[in-house]
Parts: sequence; structure tokens; C-alpha cells
Amino acid sequence: MSTSAKRQLPLWEMALVVAILAAGAWSSTLSPYYLSVDQLFGSTRAFIIPGLLALGLAVVVSLGEIDISLASIIAVGTVALSKLSAAGVPFAVAAPIVVAIGALCGAFNGLLVAKWRLPSLAVTLGTMGAFRGLAFIAGSEVGYTDFDDVYLWLGSDYVFGGVVPVSLILFALAAAGVWFLMHRTGYGRRCFSIGLNPDAAWFAGVDVVGVKIRAYALAGALAGAAALVWVGQYGSARGDNADGSILFVVTAVVLGGMDINGGRGTLSGVVLALFLLGTIRNGLGLANVGGPTQTVVLGGLLVAGVLRPAAAAAIARLSRPAKTREARAQGE
Amino acid sequence: MSEAPSVAARPGSRNLVEVVLRLREAGVVVFLVVLGLAFGLATDRFLSVQNLTTVASSAAILAIAACAQAIVLITRNLDVSVGSMMGLVAYLTADWAATHPGITPVEVVAIPLMIGTVLGAINGLLVAYGRVPALIATLGTMSLYRGFTYIYAHGQEVTSSRLPPWMLSSVDARIGGLPILILVSIAIVAVVAWLLHAYPFGRRLYAVGSNGVAAWFFGLRAERVVFFAYVACGFLCGIAGLLYAARVGTVTVVLANGWEMSSLASAVIGGVSVSGGSGTVVGAALGAVVLATIDNGLVLLRVPEFWRMFIQGAAIVAAVAVDALIAEAIRRSTGGRRR
Repeated sequence: MSTSAKRQLPLWEMALVVAILAAGAWSSTLSPYYLSVDQLFGSTRAFIIPGLLALGLAVVVSLGEIDISLASIIAVGTVALSKLSAAGVPFAVAAPIVVAIGALCGAFNGLLVAKWRLPSLAVTLGTMGAFRGLAFIAGSEVGYTDFDDVYLWLGSDYVFGGVVPVSLILFALAAAGVWFLMHRTGYGRRCFSIGLNPDAAWFAGVDVVGVKIRAYALAGALAGAAALVWVGQYGSARGDNADGSILFVVTAVVLGGMDINGGRGTLSGVVLALFLLGTIRNGLGLANVGGPTQTVVLGGLLVAGVLRPAAAAAIARLSRPAKTREARAQGE
Repeated sequence: MSEAPSVAARPGSRNLVEVVLRLREAGVVVFLVVLGLAFGLATDRFLSVQNLTTVASSAAILAIAACAQAIVLITRNLDVSVGSMMGLVAYLTADWAATHPGITPVEVVAIPLMIGTVLGAINGLLVAYGRVPALIATLGTMSLYRGFTYIYAHGQEVTSSRLPPWMLSSVDARIGGLPILILVSIAIVAVVAWLLHAYPFGRRLYAVGSNGVAAWFFGLRAERVVFFAYVACGFLCGIAGLLYAARVGTVTVVLANGWEMSSLASAVIGGVSVSGGSGTVVGAALGAVVLATIDNGLVLLRVPEFWRMFIQGAAIVAAVAVDALIAEAIRRSTGGRRR
């Protein structure tokens, strides 16, 4: 089982690469401007914010838990940043504070899930509403748009001859960091072991509660970083920021091959899935497909992504009896 | 004097569990009374007959949605497409009624029930037979159903003037001073509660939800039970969608947006455990009344709308924490192993 699972993963990642290339080829037939360096790099900006959330969610999902409050943590982060901006705090000080606030929100989820052993889905459903409510209460209905240019740099500026978005570099660094954490350190091993079998991990001496709280805090911190990018991209902070983006995030994580029950999956798959979804959405935009249809496509991909193992199992079931019959025939 | 063996064999711990569960629902009622008294003291208008009728009316449809959610929760699954199902059912029904002037009441009731059942069956197929985790499957269908509503509607809304007048007036009718909407809701919750209590299907829901493996060894087809739980959920969402459409009159594409959240909140507050196997639909309906009371009281107290979001979220976390404490107490008293 484990060897076949190992062999499956690179295959799935190859399939994602092929799908990205196919989606790109389809997009290039829609518009002559698609295959320009500016456009290709610029279009990545559309999925950097959900991408940062997906990196954090992937860590939480590896534990067999879920966090659907991440988009609400973005709203808390943007409103906090607007308060700091209004108070005249320099960005270099404000940015770490916002990331820390995100981490605190995440750690609160982690505390409820790990320490109090509450079901993560119900808890983060509750905090999803509570965090967004907090953001609305702390901010105002009108929102805040008077950000200083320094505050917008991270999300809006480009470097290397005005081609590569700064936020893409932030995302690349975050992705590399989380990949290293999950696949090259003992912490990552402990996360996957908890996801596979929490009891066995506990008996093996893994600090299950601590690992889980740190995973949630990491996801919250990445949501805080996403809040910084949000402010740069949209220049506004309001309680309803990033509302409803969790569908894209969960789709990316599931389509990237993370097992939603925990214990299996790779970060490279998640990043590839993000590029695939980003390319598809960009292409649908070029083809003038409306938002609702894009949502339907996204929902369909999500369902297709999770039906994949079930479909593979069904095919295996269908082919196995045939094989044994053949074997029996040969034996006779 | 021979009793059926299943009734005779009843260890003491089982009685304790039942007592605690009864207490959980009684707790919701006590909380409701305390809440009502607090709002009554804070504002003059809360305890007036007119206002209480308003609270009950707004709780009526939510109670049906909470009931639908509870059936799925009891099997240890969940359905976040409840709001989208209600929205799609309401729009398709209203659109059909608007484009077919000679529509009969039988059709107006039959169409949404059929659509709701089909939508629920799709969810059930994915979760029970496709083995897709409930959250992912219904998150997908949530966007599929809502997206389909948008595409079908082309940005149009069905205004109340295009609907047959009897459709709108029938939900506002009163029997013995009570709006018919409230009576229908109570009747539906009571029938569902009775069906779950008195028929094997209800027992199977609890069996699959509390221990799926044991239920399987016992000979229950868990897939089939879960599938029909989703079908029942879709059916009830069909009723809720129809009532909502008739109540608001003007049906837009965002109708019942976010109801997955409030239906879940109602069920959880009413003592339905998200870990499956415990809670009742009556509890879920009571949870809906609690939510409607909080909403109404906050409006009367002129609390900004954002606080509702915060309080609703905090209430879910608090209710889940209370359930965990109760489960821990039961485990300790029955000498069960801690996870």
C-alpha cells in the first residue's frame, strides 16, 4: 500500500504539470497577449493570496485536521494593518505585528482543537464567523483606504525590471520554507505521523498537542502575510475582505493530492495545483467566462479532485477479479 | 412478561447517557428562557405578543433547515450546501410559477420537493458511494448549486408581482391567531422527530453516526443510511426553500446565502454533536429558536449587525465546548478510555 502510494504521487504531480501546460496552451489560443512574460508573471498575482492560505492549510490537513477560518484571519489582519497605518506606525514594524496577530488567531484555533480536543471543522466554522465579526467590529462598515504607499509596496510593486511581482517572491519564499519544513525536518515527519495515526504518534512520544498548535499558528501567520499582500493589491481594509475565498484554497489543497484525512501528500503538489487553478481561472477570464461559471468550474474540479482516489479504487476493484480469474485459468 | 431482548438488555451507563442527553435539551430550553427574560428586561418590546410572533416566524424556516442539517450531522457527516440547495430550489420554483400562470398548488409543492430530493441525492451519492469527505463534497456542490442558480437566472430576479398571489398570501394566513408558517414548521419538525424516533431508519442514523464500524458488523449498510440521510436533508431543504421564497416574495440569486452556517449553528447549539450519533431534531429546532431570539434581541437593543456574526460564531464554539465537556463526563463515569 505504502509503496503504491509513493509511486502514485509523482505520477499525480506529472499529471498536474501536463494539465497546467494544456490549460496554458488553451489560454494562448484565446488571446495573442497571453504568452508574454509580463502577462504570465502578472497573472500569478491572482492566486498569491489564496496560495499563502493553501500552504498553511496543507500543513493543517497533513495532521488530519482542517481550518476554514483562514480567510477570516485575512480580514482581521487587514483591519489590524489599517489601525497601525492610521496610527502612523512604520511598515517594517507593522508587518511583523500583523503576522503575529494572524499567528495568534491560528494558535487560538489550535488550542481549541488540540488542547481541548474539539472537532476542528466545527471550531473553525465558529471562529470563521467570530474572526470576521471581530474584524467588522474593530474596523468600520466603511472600510479604510488611506494607506501610505510604503504599505502597498509588498502587494503592488514589481522588481527585476518591473516584471516579477514582489508578492510572487514572497510566495516563492513561503512555499520553499513550508516545503522544507514538511519534507526535510523532523517537525514535518511528526505532522504526517499524527495525520496517519494520532494514537501511534502519541505512544511514540510525539507532542501531539504542541505540533498541532504550532501548525495552526503557522497557518494563521501565513494568513497574516496574505493580509499584507491583500492591502497592497486592493488598497483597502474591511471586515468582508477575502470572504468566500476558502473554496479556492480547499480546492487547491485537495487537487494537489493532500489526503483530506491526513498523513499523505506533498507541498509540491499543492503548489502545482495552485498554478493549475490560477491558469484555468486566468484562461476563463480571457475567454470572458463570468464569475458564476468560474465558481461552477472550481466546484466541479474540487469534486473531481476528491473522487480521484475513489475512482482509482473502483478501477482496481474491477480489474482485480479479472486477474484472479486469469490466474486461476492458468493454474488449471 | 417477556420483553424484547434489545429492550431488556440495558446497562446502567446507557441510562446515564440518556439522562445527560435529556439535560442537554433541557439546558437549551433554560438558556432560551434566561435569554428571553434578559431581553425582556432590557427592552419593553421584546416580550410583546407581536414581537414573539416575529421571532417565531423567523425561526420557523431556520428550524426546518436545522432539522435537515441535524439528520446529516447525526450520521457523522455534514452538509454545507444547505443554503445553496434552498436558493436553487426557491429560484427554480419561483421562476416556474412566474412563467406558468395556471400553476396549481400541488405543483408548487411538488416541484421544490422533487428538486430538493434530487440535489440531496447528488450529495448523498458523492459522500456515501463516492467516499468523498462530507465537507469537500458539499463545499463543491455548494458552489455548483449556487453557480447554477446564477447561470440560470442571468442576473434576473423573480419579483413578487410575477408570482401567483395565493402563493404569497398562503404563508401569511393565520389559524387561531398563529401564522400558518409557524404551524407548518412545528408540524414538520414533529413529524421528522417522530419518524426518527419510531422507525428503524432513525435508529440506523444514530447507529452509523456513533460507530460506523460496529454498525457495519451489525449488518447495517452504512452507505445506504448515509445516502438516505442526504436525500432527507435535500427534501427538507426543498420545503425550506419553498417557504422562504413564498415568505420574501422577491426571489434573488443570493437567497439563503450563508444558511449553511446558521443551520449548523442552530443544530450545534441545540445539542447535535458534529462527531455524530447524538442529538435530536427537536434540539436543532430549539437551537434555531435560540438563534432567532438572539438576532431579534440584538436588533431591539440596536447592536450593530457585525456583532451577530461574532456572537453566532462564538456560540458555535461554546456549544461544541459544552458537548466535549459532557462527552468527557460520560466517558469518565462509564470508565471509557480517553481517545
